[in-house]
Amino acid sequence: MIITRDLTKKYGDFTALNKLNLKVNEGEIFCLLGANGAGKSTTINLLLNFITPSSGKAFINGLNVTDNARETKAFLTYIPENLMLYPTLTAIENLDYFLGIGGKNFSRKELEFFLHEAGLQQEAFHKRVQFFSKGMRQKVGIALAIAKDANVLLLDEPTSGLDPKSSNEFGELLLKMKKNGVAILMTTHDIFRAKEIGTHIGIMKQGQLKYNFSCNDKSLQEIENLYLETMSLKDNLL
Amino acid sequence: MIFHVVKKELQETLRDGRFKISTAIVFVLLTVSLVLTFNQYQYNNAQYIEAQKNERSLWEEQGEKNPHSAAHYGNYVFKPKSPLSLIDQGVEKYTGISIFLEAHNRNEAQFSNASDQTALSRFGELTPSFILLYILPLILILIGYDAYTKELEKGTFAILKSQGISNTKLLFGKWLSVLIPIVTITTLLFLFGGLILSNTSDIGVFNWEALGVLYIVYLIYYLILTNIVLFISLIAKKSGVALVSSLVFWVLACFITPKIASNIADSKYPYPTNQEFSKRVAEDRKKGLDGHNPWSEEAKKLEEEVLRKYNVDSVHKLPFNYSAYRMQKGEEYQAKVYAKHYSWLDEQAQKQEKVYKSTSMISPFLPTRFLSMAISRTDYQSHRDFSEKAETYRVKTQEFLNGLTEKNSRYGERYVASANAWKKLPKFEYKPPPFSQILNSNTPMMLILIVWFAVTGAVLFFINKNH
Repeated sequence: MIITRDLTKKYGDFTALNKLNLKVNEGEIFCLLGANGAGKSTTINLLLNFITPSSGKAFINGLNVTDNARETKAFLTYIPENLMLYPTLTAIENLDYFLGIGGKNFSRKELEFFLHEAGLQQEAFHKRVQFFSKGMRQKVGIALAIAKDANVLLLDEPTSGLDPKSSNEFGELLLKMKKNGVAILMTTHDIFRAKEIGTHIGIMKQGQLKYNFSCNDKSLQEIENLYLETMSLKDNLL
Repeated sequence: MIFHVVKKELQETLRDGRFKISTAIVFVLLTVSLVLTFNQYQYNNAQYIEAQKNERSLWEEQGEKNPHSAAHYGNYVFKPKSPLSLIDQGVEKYTGISIFLEAHNRNEAQFSNASDQTALSRFGELTPSFILLYILPLILILIGYDAYTKELEKGTFAILKSQGISNTKLLFGKWLSVLIPIVTITTLLFLFGGLILSNTSDIGVFNWEALGVLYIVYLIYYLILTNIVLFISLIAKKSGVALVSSLVFWVLACFITPKIASNIADSKYPYPTNQEFSKRVAEDRKKGLDGHNPWSEEAKKLEEEVLRKYNVDSVHKLPFNYSAYRMQKGEEYQAKVYAKHYSWLDEQAQKQEKVYKSTSMISPFLPTRFLSMAISRTDYQSHRDFSEKAETYRVKTQEFLNGLTEKNSRYGERYVASANAWKKLPKFEYKPPPFSQILNSNTPMMLILIVWFAVTGAVLFFINKNH
């Protein structure tokens, strides 16, 4: 479960995130929409404790991320927009490394199973990842989440730049994880994908969460209208 | 966790073409340097043994002769090669390995390797110490310069940190993975060197203890360099900047600082030229007794003193050969003159060395260099020790030879010693100072090296904690 309470991040006079209150339960996919600079990535970075909040608190599975930086990371997997792996290592070796430094050790067969579960083609398991597409690298990231048995998944614009097929596959994987009770927070610009796989959508503007609603409550058109309105584009278009 | 970092870093290093090529080159260089140095060592050692044997037999087979003629005939003494000169030849190449001992004069060591070589030898020789001191640090830089910057550049740092690894464990893992290849190469070299030395006869006083201490010195040197290279990688934003900064440090530490230190030492405490030194000695010699000149004021004074002491009115009535007695007194005076001037030279050398060693605080290369030469017994101190012991032997030889004439003849007689007389002169057997003494006199250098490690380690740890 992910909870933020009045989570705020300021850089001098600039407020990157202003009193964010958010809750993502197990088995939910919360999609954060917003223009660049709206505070989406700042939220992710605060949840990862890469940056410390100016005020407010963030919790992962009930643990304050600032006070329990290392413990909370055991519950979560983070997949950035462009998941970069070690190019001279194979997919298996990359997975083994990231799990190993998180204190988890698995046999080769188990590692192969996780990659398989994440949808990576078998012939890619033992290939160096230097020629992997973004979609293939994302799958290694998902395999990491599966292997860690992570119940929190933080995704920072994971589908941007993916071709429709890969994006669709990735969405399927997220739905599978949602079904397994994982709490997923995903920042994205893809309204269609958010509506399709999300349980909740939040729309951010200038560090504030302007809208927070259930995906079932609004149609795709309504979400789009709200998004454009938030981006102050609708008026311009009319 | 640390194991996984080490494993992954080593996997990356071993798959890096640059590392493969450079390591292969280093192995070839090390093997060639070891073989070349060993061949040279064996050649020199065989020459030493043969020359020492020949020299002694030439001395013993002079036949019947006046002892003072034998003193002028002179003999050579040879410095045995130190077994660890296989690793570090130090200043031996320039200081020479033999000294000609004769009456009245103290000679410098001669027949240095450098004097037998062409001008090209000034470009340096391929020796194990050259590789240990200069080349392995380069490989270390090549392995470690991008330890942190590559994570930033490849974008792996975020996902890495999201696994919950602590900065300290990550640092320790990276630290070990930079060190392991270097330590492996160094260990192989020392083991191989040790095996060669322990399985070779006529090798002199080889002990594993000295080799072990030398190995530890180089390990500390690499620990320090690892701290510095990782520190640079931590604070640099780009790999290019980290590489250039590390190389600049390498050039400053290994080339520029020693040259600056040497120039400062030389300008602060200059050495006289050979001509100047000989002139000073000659001037002082003129002021005292010359055993060959019975008409000088000092000779007259000595004669009066001796006649008074023995209560006789002529040197003919003395119970010994007065000429030999005067010759010996002349020798003693000349030895004192040489002792005075050489001790001044040594003082200058020690002052220079002090200045030079004080710069060890600004480059870890210098204490390592000093310790390496000292432990290998190829530093200036070792040469000085040999030179002093040879001079003591020369003085005793003159005393022995003059004593033969003095005791066995009277003034005015021409004494000819029997052919057997020369065998009675004890052989010159150079015994280098014990290893414990070398360790004691180099404790400050060892401490400086340890301080370097502690300070660079503390800075690295502090910067990493706040990274």
